[in-house]
Amino acid sequence: MKEKLTMAVLRACIIATCVAAFIPALNPVQLSGLISKNASLFTNAVSYNSIGSNFVRALERGWVEQSSLSVTYIGALVAGLGIVILGAAFCLSLGNIKMQKLGVKLSFIAALVGMAGMAVLCAAYDMLTASPAPERINPAFPTGIAAFFVMFGLTLLPSIAAWVILPKPAVDAHYAIEPKYKLFLMILPFLVLITLFAYLPLWGWRVAFFDYTPGIDLTMNDWVGFKWLQFLFRNESTRAEIYQVLTNTLAMSGIGLATSWLPMMFAIFLSEMRSTKFRRRIQTLTTIPNFISWVLVYSIAFAIFSTEGFFNSMLSSMGLIEQGTNHLNSGEHIWLKMWLWGTWKGLGWSAIIYIASITSIDPQLYEAATVDGAGRFQKMWHVTVPGLMSTFFVLLLLGIANVLSNGMDQYMVFYVPANRTHIRVLDLYVYHLGLKEGDQVPLATLIGMLKTVISVTLLFVANKASKFLRGESIV
Amino acid sequence: MKIYKQTFGDYAFTFLNGLFFILFTLLCIFPFYYLFINTISDNTLVARGLINFVPRNIHFDNYVSLLNVRDIFQAIWITTARTVLGTIAMVLASAMVGYLVTQQKMFARKFIYRFIIITMYFNAGLIPWYLNMSMLGLTNNFWGYIIPAIVQPFNIILVKTYIESIPGEMEESAFIDGAGYFVVFSRIILPLCKPILATIAVFGAVGHWNSFIDSLILMKGDPRIYTLQHKLYDYLNYSSDLGKLFNQGGTLTGEDVAAALNNRVVQLTVAMVTIVPILMVYPFMQRYFQKGLMLGAVKG
Repeated sequence: MKEKLTMAVLRACIIATCVAAFIPALNPVQLSGLISKNASLFTNAVSYNSIGSNFVRALERGWVEQSSLSVTYIGALVAGLGIVILGAAFCLSLGNIKMQKLGVKLSFIAALVGMAGMAVLCAAYDMLTASPAPERINPAFPTGIAAFFVMFGLTLLPSIAAWVILPKPAVDAHYAIEPKYKLFLMILPFLVLITLFAYLPLWGWRVAFFDYTPGIDLTMNDWVGFKWLQFLFRNESTRAEIYQVLTNTLAMSGIGLATSWLPMMFAIFLSEMRSTKFRRRIQTLTTIPNFISWVLVYSIAFAIFSTEGFFNSMLSSMGLIEQGTNHLNSGEHIWLKMWLWGTWKGLGWSAIIYIASITSIDPQLYEAATVDGAGRFQKMWHVTVPGLMSTFFVLLLLGIANVLSNGMDQYMVFYVPANRTHIRVLDLYVYHLGLKEGDQVPLATLIGMLKTVISVTLLFVANKASKFLRGESIV
Repeated sequence: MKIYKQTFGDYAFTFLNGLFFILFTLLCIFPFYYLFINTISDNTLVARGLINFVPRNIHFDNYVSLLNVRDIFQAIWITTARTVLGTIAMVLASAMVGYLVTQQKMFARKFIYRFIIITMYFNAGLIPWYLNMSMLGLTNNFWGYIIPAIVQPFNIILVKTYIESIPGEMEESAFIDGAGYFVVFSRIILPLCKPILATIAVFGAVGHWNSFIDSLILMKGDPRIYTLQHKLYDYLNYSSDLGKLFNQGGTLTGEDVAAALNNRVVQLTVAMVTIVPILMVYPFMQRYFQKGLMLGAVKG
């Protein structure tokens, strides 16, 4: 019991320290105003560039010496090494007594290494303050050093305790680990990856409640609460813009949903063709556009609809127009055009799932219908269509859940200033607002956040609806 | 087969139906043909928009000079590296995770599986994604293309479902013979899963080859690691000096070449170079994608 408790405390300490290595606010390498406030200890330890990139000018002018930067990086490396050894110690601590002993030894060493790293960073801080022009590089003593010193210290205590408490393993004992933990350790790296790239970004939602200047870390002084939410509704021009963007988003998704029966019709009529070879050829060739990117679709649009393109050249050779125009620069009928491109790219592909479903419809149904005197169209309508309804329904519900996310690629590549009003969907708007044109990072984050919340809710509702109507869930 | 007399109506229907599909198919593939003939025809004719159905004065100089533009060569190299590395890493990871989550003995297995799968249904949004990537030091960094795309929940579902459909005896007998998890995974599971792994590899590779938003947003500061799609996007948008760039890099000299290598030709040629790999692997991957789509319909 006592052993278990000590090991649990040790593991908790290790996890806390490892997590802290990813938090920019606790970065002990933050020794100067020139080191990005957005970097964590992990970032600084894996790349020297993350420390040195802003110092180029300072180094040239001699405001700071290369040696102090090197020492800073060495400090980050040593601390990073400590973290890595801690991670290994955590893995070992899940094994049998012999393995745990080794793990405890390692965590002891790791805590010392980490503390040494902090000491090196303190030395680097001294070097930075003593550099020729400290006011230019404004050195600051990061709270991270103290925090990590404490955390490594806290790890040290349970390691020592565990070393004393853990019984000596038998002389002939082997290193071993229970299958359940072995499997867990095998999947752990992937869990770390998914945490880093799917869960950690959620932490960025806090930006929506702060005044944000890029590169500067958020402090509680910048906390503005629901200011941006109010801004969204109160600011006249933003409100008008949002209204237009939402209209575009819903209109284009709406057109897509309203025509979502097209792939089904495509599949039904294609399967009416007798020749298998013909069917397969058509299916193969009409799916090609699905596999090229939107940039390539745009380049095709460019080849055909630009001033010297196929379209103008055809019209002028028929004597319909004198001078070609670049149709991609026009702002008219954008919703329709976007739908047409989407259909060109996706129709053949979306039909595949229906084509496959048609083959699974019971042939006896068709025979029975024939006996009853049903014609071709009656069979299509009364046998095939009902047979495909459940697939159609699932796709429709998923489409409804995705009504706010029509993706960004298509609208981004077709975007020109002339069609700005009608092409900007929510995703593109967030990109423009936050990254491309403006510095409205908090507002863009807020909109993205609201979008996610609404989409998840819609998905949940769609799933419930499906359960209620068909008795099976869609996700 | 029952003998069925075709009426006039049947013939008319088949004719119209077939006609529609042939027209739609032409609509789908003509643009590719159009693009191609415009890159191999006389450049002055292309610039005036006179090549519509038949190529004239066929030559391949455009492709030759394209190879000499270091910019594009670099982009091709980066995109290829990304596609190969990214796909291998993703496929191995999907296989491994898909296998591990089928192991009943694992600690907190159910929770772990849900923890992975649930990430399909939400995302933090563009800005938090960007801030996160920059915090992890993956902006302006080639690994920013690969590492975030390793764990793909959807592919994990596909592999897991597939493994569950394989009879478990082989695995069990290997365990009895004393094989460890890694041996079972690499000697038994991997070979058995080849069909599904081929499917996800095809989709992963196409995704990597086609993606450009990450290059556009994350790699803004380092043009050396732009992907081909991103380069093409730039060329389509800022076309003014393209001909110049093309000629500087090229070994061709002389005024007529300079005049002939105009923006339009460059844009179309780069587009063609970007499309060709997809069209080349298309016949091979065609076998797999239908299977993949069907598997996607049955989620586990």
